[in-house]
Amino acid sequence: MRVLGVLLRKELQATFTSPIGFTIIAVFLLVMGYTFSLTLIATRVANLNYIFHQIYVLSILLVPAATMRAFAEERATDTLELLLTSPIQETSIVVAKFLATFTLILGMIVGSAVYAVILGVYGDPDWGPIYSGYLALVLLAAFLVSIGIFMSSLTENQVVAAALTLGIALMLWYADSVSGMLPSPFDSLALNLSLIGHFHPLAIGSVFLSDIGYFVTLTLLALFLTIRRLKAR
Amino acid sequence: MTIATSAGGAIASPAGAQDADGALTISARGVSKRYQSFAALHPLDLDIRRGEVFCLMGPNGSGKSTFIRILAGYLAPSSGTVSICGYDIVTDGLSARRLIGYVPERVPLYNFMRVEEFLRFAARLRGVEERNVSREVTRVVELLALGEVVRKPIRTLSRGFRQRVALAQALVHDPEILVLDEPTNGLDPRQIMETRSLIRTLAGRHTVLMTSHILSEVEKTAHRVGLLLNGKLLGVRGISEIDDLEAWFLSVT
Repeated sequence: MRVLGVLLRKELQATFTSPIGFTIIAVFLLVMGYTFSLTLIATRVANLNYIFHQIYVLSILLVPAATMRAFAEERATDTLELLLTSPIQETSIVVAKFLATFTLILGMIVGSAVYAVILGVYGDPDWGPIYSGYLALVLLAAFLVSIGIFMSSLTENQVVAAALTLGIALMLWYADSVSGMLPSPFDSLALNLSLIGHFHPLAIGSVFLSDIGYFVTLTLLALFLTIRRLKAR
Repeated sequence: MTIATSAGGAIASPAGAQDADGALTISARGVSKRYQSFAALHPLDLDIRRGEVFCLMGPNGSGKSTFIRILAGYLAPSSGTVSICGYDIVTDGLSARRLIGYVPERVPLYNFMRVEEFLRFAARLRGVEERNVSREVTRVVELLALGEVVRKPIRTLSRGFRQRVALAQALVHDPEILVLDEPTNGLDPRQIMETRSLIRTLAGRHTVLMTSHILSEVEKTAHRVGLLLNGKLLGVRGISEIDDLEAWFLSVT
């Protein structure tokens, strides 16, 4: 646990001394503030359904930028060699990187809670979908961060890592759209892999264990593959 | 027996950790590395004794860095075993790596950290007990004469100071073995002399395994030298046994 703490502190320092972290936060708050104001003025409806879907899209675009440097930069500057020749487990390195970027994204999501507070003060929202919507965002963030970190472990080029993460997220997003064109059993496989298919029910207040299981399973799978990737050297 | 470090760590040494006279720290048997059909390192055997400075010599691309990276635990060998004070570098990697201080060829530092911060990070990563971290950092700062830059951001340091910081992080847990890949690469003549002097100072207390392709450096630093060419270990000699290193190098290659 001590080593994990040491690595996490270093990762947080790297995240918050990098202009990338602050740029991501600034873009997120700017776009969300703009979207929230417009949505509220246009619909005058006290729910965050539209906002959750906006954050979903924005997360798919921004998380790759947050995760791209995780291993790619360490590999390019040879500091990965320093870490992997230290007496520490690969699992600690991966978990520390995951937690540091997850903290950044979580901070953005928590920041967006101000919209829920505004709705609570000036309206009478149904809190159930808001809670489940935030659960969906947290699960989505964990999933995207883990995929991004895995992609970053495959290359020393940060742009390639970001592009791969974005590509996978977009393919999973549209998986249900292509399911109709696929033969059985690939159609149901594509349908079950759909990112939006598992996000949407949670975002509108329908909590199914299968949706939570989807995000948790894929997050753990991506982290496991990253650890395997580091061990295979 | 136990292997103790002044950094506060002490780990039990496994049975058969050393040879009969208790002098071996590194023992490689049949170690090779292949990348698909390309053999970067052909099977080689090598023993390195406690307290000696052993230099792997050879031209660029001869397999020196590959072998060093296997010993440091960064690469896994395709075949063979490496024993570090009795610990297998693959199957008992954590224990083995705890005994090694490693400086790769391209000095790996975190530019966003200050020197002291980085050394504290390295000490904690290598298992130095919290109560000893400050003491060990002070020790390596004095040893490497880093006092004037200790509070500076690493990104502002010159090549020479960056090399010294890299050496300091490798020594901060007082390892049994120091593994240095081309330690004078890119340094100016004064820095080269200082680094050689430091390596000679470290010999005895630490076992030093280094690589170099500069013959004069090998002559001035090493006790024994191994010659690698195209991934094959062509010979190992004591430096005192070689009248003319250049002639030996040319005759073997």
